[in-house]
Amino acid sequence: MEVADHSCSSSIDSSNHPPFPSSSSSVVSSNIKRDLSTDLRLGLSIHNNDDCSTSTQRGDGFDWPPIKPLLRSRLADNYVQQQQQRHENSASLFVKVYMEGIPIGRKLDVYAHQGYKALISTLAHMFKTSIVLPDSDDVHWNREKHHVLTYEDKEGDWMMVGDVPWELFLTTVKRLKITRADRC
Amino acid sequence: MNYFPDEVIEHVFDFITSHKDRNAVSLVCKSWYKIERMSRQIVFIGNCYAISPEGVIARFPELKSLTLKGKPHFADFNLVPHDWGGILYPWIEAFAKSRVGLEELRLKRMVVSDESLELLSKSFVNFKALVLVSCEGFSTDGLAAVAANCRFLRELDLQENEVEDHRGHWISRFPESCTSLVSLNLACLKGEINLSALERLVARSPNLKSLRLSRAVPLDALQKILMRAPQLVDLGTGSFVHDPASDAYNKLKATILKCKSIKSLSGFLEVAPRCLSAIHPICHNLTSLNLSYAPGIHGNDLIKLIQHCRKLERLWILDCIGDKGLGIVASTCKELQELRVFPSDPYGVGNAAVTEEGLVAISAGCPKLHSLLYFCQQMTNAALITVAKNCSNFTRFRLCILDPTRPDPVTMQPLDEGFGAIVQSCKRLRRLSLSGLLTDRVFLYIGMYAEQLEMLSIAFAGDSDKGMLYVLNGCKKLRKLEIRDSPFGDTALLTDVGKYETMRSLWMSSCEVTLGGCKTLAKNRPMLNVEIINEDDQIDFSSDDRQKVGKMYLYRTLVGPRKDAPEFVWTLSRRWVGTDLVKQHNSNSSKFLTMAGQEKSQKSQGWSKNPVPSGWNCHNIGVLSKNYCTRIIGYEDLKGTMA
Repeated sequence: MEVADHSCSSSIDSSNHPPFPSSSSSVVSSNIKRDLSTDLRLGLSIHNNDDCSTSTQRGDGFDWPPIKPLLRSRLADNYVQQQQQRHENSASLFVKVYMEGIPIGRKLDVYAHQGYKALISTLAHMFKTSIVLPDSDDVHWNREKHHVLTYEDKEGDWMMVGDVPWELFLTTVKRLKITRADRC
Repeated sequence: MNYFPDEVIEHVFDFITSHKDRNAVSLVCKSWYKIERMSRQIVFIGNCYAISPEGVIARFPELKSLTLKGKPHFADFNLVPHDWGGILYPWIEAFAKSRVGLEELRLKRMVVSDESLELLSKSFVNFKALVLVSCEGFSTDGLAAVAANCRFLRELDLQENEVEDHRGHWISRFPESCTSLVSLNLACLKGEINLSALERLVARSPNLKSLRLSRAVPLDALQKILMRAPQLVDLGTGSFVHDPASDAYNKLKATILKCKSIKSLSGFLEVAPRCLSAIHPICHNLTSLNLSYAPGIHGNDLIKLIQHCRKLERLWILDCIGDKGLGIVASTCKELQELRVFPSDPYGVGNAAVTEEGLVAISAGCPKLHSLLYFCQQMTNAALITVAKNCSNFTRFRLCILDPTRPDPVTMQPLDEGFGAIVQSCKRLRRLSLSGLLTDRVFLYIGMYAEQLEMLSIAFAGDSDKGMLYVLNGCKKLRKLEIRDSPFGDTALLTDVGKYETMRSLWMSSCEVTLGGCKTLAKNRPMLNVEIINEDDQIDFSSDDRQKVGKMYLYRTLVGPRKDAPEFVWTLSRRWVGTDLVKQHNSNSSKFLTMAGQEKSQKSQGWSKNPVPSGWNCHNIGVLSKNYCTRIIGYEDLKGTMA
């Protein structure tokens, strides 16, 4: 079992004080965001995560929720399988993209991109603006000049793009919106 | 004093089948005790460490069927280390040495080695049924021994075990002469299976009524097997994946139409949803449906399936059915008695789940519902109150909110009132699991109203010791109490120590109980084993009694501390006195904490002998604690103590 050290505190922070309204499921999901991308690429089952941020509060990934090991591994296998299928398919997922202030939107195939950087780059080209990710600290950006990228998830909530691992993002994105940075 | 000859009384006792009743009957008088014990064939032992195998054999020499349970329930959720115990071998060894003609063995949460399976298969000529639930420690080699040697095997039922698969064609070890199989459940096996051997086995088993296949059995093999067993009543499919346009699939559809007796369906361990229509024709007969291992089936396909199942009495399903799907269940399955909804997305990555709406719909639509296990995203007090009004028949009510301290999302209140309504309305409630934000108040309600409650599971609940005390004082029939991550401490633990001798066991982990509290509890309590699970040497026994104990498990027993406890399990000695403690290093026995400087071995403390204190005869036991007595399966020698 890996022990999450370096990113634990940020997980705790983001889960306790979500900047945007979120359902509890996304609160829990942010707790495991750190390990998922590595585990998915390695094809490991996700139940091997040890999440220190929930270990005192809600029990670690191993013993909560109280389901038997066979079901737990079955669900983990299924999840990994789904993700792998998604990669294997040459399927595409076109989502609508709107930029704030422009009534006509565009469409973009998210599956055609390898990750957030590629996505941002394509969008920046399409809409001729600069888009920043939430964690990027290489730019002391002027809130009025830049935009951020948000998306609508399966539950209908609008979230900032970039918080969850790319593969996870792919499973839940419905549409994209580029909004002004000073609105977030 | 009997008005009838013993044979007549024995004949009357034949009609008394429940363990509780037989235990009660055996307390009436010496004569009835003797008649009952010589005629009891089915023995149930809820905790394998409460009694020794020799004790069981001595009391029930005519035993034919034995049920044994090992690890505590929370072992199912990874809270108990693997080598904790619950080892089967000593039981088989003891039974093999005796004259007991064992025919059935049912085990839950035990460690079963290949050696024990082999010994079992060779020692009991008439052995007929082996049922293993949530066990581990064996491989297909052990199964091969059972297959090869148990000539009259009727039942081999493997439920959710961890089996090491050696792929040794163990199925082929069933001899050609074996034609007696009635029930074969292989669903938990992970490895390859010799399909033609399996098919031949099914073909020569005309009495086969229940067959559950493993994932390694593909759809075309299923079709061939079903051709041989159209009389099946209970079917568990393996892999249910095929091109719906193929011959194999069409053959299957035709074959299924011949299986008119199937009432129970499970499996679909791998499934292509478009294949499900093949089973629609048999759905109208189904009384039991288990799709909880099939996360590949989406909500809409589930709904299409369930709409055909009007006679369903038991449904186990994943929460991808959604609230809407549960609404369909409520309007279709009017005979529903048991519902289990499992989480398809335990890590909460944003997929489908159910809420209070689904449960309310079910409670309104299914008047016969009495057993529930429900994993959900959220729950409200209003919904629970409505459920309590709609359904007062619950005997088992287990609710698990995925975020375990979540309040009522509408009112932001704890769920005390909701659960209070459940316990007040459901007068026959025997098992309850709580979750969500809960204060001491819910335990007040439980103590007040849950008069028939036998098992209670608590996690992340309560504010203070009062909570636990309400339960211990109020629930007179409580047998098993398991608590995790709740603020109950020494005061609650120690207020009524005698209570634990009326119960099977108490589990407390990540609570506020201290080492000193546990020691005080264990003092002068010969009938209790107080075990501390000390993983990673968290506890330093030579110092501070104020240290919190990570995991404590206590249970009543007739045979004192167990001899097979591993390094990390500490049994607190009843003879503990004083503050200085010394570790006992004795490679064969458990560690005991005794007076400083004194080397006490297992034998010198006399625990291998009869632990029943002198003067404590059967009559006294009856007066002391009726509940406890009816649970004792075996007394040690009580010659001369009955009036």
